[in-house]
Amino acid sequence: MSGAAIEFSGVSKKYRRHTQPRATTLKSFLLYDLWNRREIAPNVTWALRDIDLTIKKGITLGVVGRNGSGKSTLLKLVSRILKPDRGSLTIDGKVTALIELGAGFHPELTGRENIMINGIILGLTQDEIKTKMDEIIRFSEVGGYVDDPVRTYSSGMYMRLGFSVAIHVNPEILLIDEVLSVGDAAFTHKCIDKMNAFQKEGKTIILVTHDLGMVRSWCNEAIWMDGGCLRMKGDPENVVEAYTRAMCGA
Amino acid sequence: MIKPIRQLYRYRALISVLIQRELKAKYRGTALGLLWSLINPLVLTAIYLLVFSVYMRVGMENYPAFLLSGILPWTWFSMGLSESAHSIISNGGLIKKVYLPSEIFPFVSIGSNMVHYLFSLPILIFLLFLMGLKLSWLLLFLPIVLGIQFVLSYGIALILASLAVQFRDLLHILPNLLMMGLFLTPIFYPMTMIPEKYRLLVQVNPMAHLMKLYQDIFFYHQMLSPWSLGILVGLSSISLWVGLSFFEARKDWFAEEV
Repeated sequence: MSGAAIEFSGVSKKYRRHTQPRATTLKSFLLYDLWNRREIAPNVTWALRDIDLTIKKGITLGVVGRNGSGKSTLLKLVSRILKPDRGSLTIDGKVTALIELGAGFHPELTGRENIMINGIILGLTQDEIKTKMDEIIRFSEVGGYVDDPVRTYSSGMYMRLGFSVAIHVNPEILLIDEVLSVGDAAFTHKCIDKMNAFQKEGKTIILVTHDLGMVRSWCNEAIWMDGGCLRMKGDPENVVEAYTRAMCGA
Repeated sequence: MIKPIRQLYRYRALISVLIQRELKAKYRGTALGLLWSLINPLVLTAIYLLVFSVYMRVGMENYPAFLLSGILPWTWFSMGLSESAHSIISNGGLIKKVYLPSEIFPFVSIGSNMVHYLFSLPILIFLLFLMGLKLSWLLLFLPIVLGIQFVLSYGIALILASLAVQFRDLLHILPNLLMMGLFLTPIFYPMTMIPEKYRLLVQVNPMAHLMKLYQDIFFYHQMLSPWSLGILVGLSSISLWVGLSFFEARKDWFAEEV
């Protein structure tokens, strides 16, 4: 329960922008890049600039900020999908992201088959999934439809099934990006119960959300991202208050 | 070079479920299911036979057996490569959301098409029996030849898959190249039918050597040429090495580019 789960030191991440004629096709490659041999002006956006941040083990960190402020990029770096362009990032523990649910579901396969595939994608073993299968199905509330192809599912069922698999992966570090609202009120309530249980087990949770009430009531710490920079870090009450004031004042 | 291979081994359970996913999903919802794996090559072969054997009168004894022993592995090669070329783009949703070593996707394309090849082997064997041809002990060499083809195509597949992310035109160029390969490789006709002065053209085509190995095993019942084997082992190692290095250098961008 001591030490840092995640440590950002001087992390920056840039995205290349595709507004310019960049060589995405052979034709433009041949016509512009080879023919003219000109330097393409580096047209980049810094999604994150020089982030220094230590997230201690066992805390729940709320991340607030406007759209495009770098919140999701932060999570994608932690889940190793993206690599930092500058600086270094150390992560201690198994990470699972609830960023997008149902990634890797195949529409033609049944719910049960997709649970197996998705579970393995998220790092479970086949045996672990077999033992957790009934629990995953129960939690998802898809009931008897679990043996139907997922293309026949409603979008709610699809999301709940994805969420249910992800939540049973049992990670040490859990990343949540605006996904707690996938189901109806009853399902959301169940998810929050599960999150509370994770908190009690001492897991590190990073929550990206626009639900400021949730940050206040549920997080131990909060950060405010602004234009790719870390604007503020501290007690959730203070961060949320400063953020709200800035948003309404502006 | 060692690291990506170790990654593939670590993720073998995922590779196997993804291959199963490909196989299951392909025919799910169809009445005949996996039988399509047999019917498709049969229909194709019937057409080729009509054209080459009946209309064009290729005068070769047991021509159907010759044709089938080459066309089946070529189909694996060609389908495997075209699916791999799409593999990073079509799994973009996954690559953007979950951390996975993306070299598994071309591997799955080549692997699932190899399974299709293996499923279609009974047709060939049945045909051989029908024509009174026996299976030779050379069949023992088949696993080696399959291994060579797997490694060779996987190397090429890695290059195609990563290139296609940046140059989508490749997806339109590739079918043409594969079509050219199909006709320029001795599959419909034996090497001996090619006029002497053009033979060099065929000899520099690695696929010609590879297809000859299959024909030796199933049709000619001739000891495989150690020279061809040697060259192919060398080429497939080079292909794997180039493919992996090429892919490694580009894979970090996939999550942003697809």
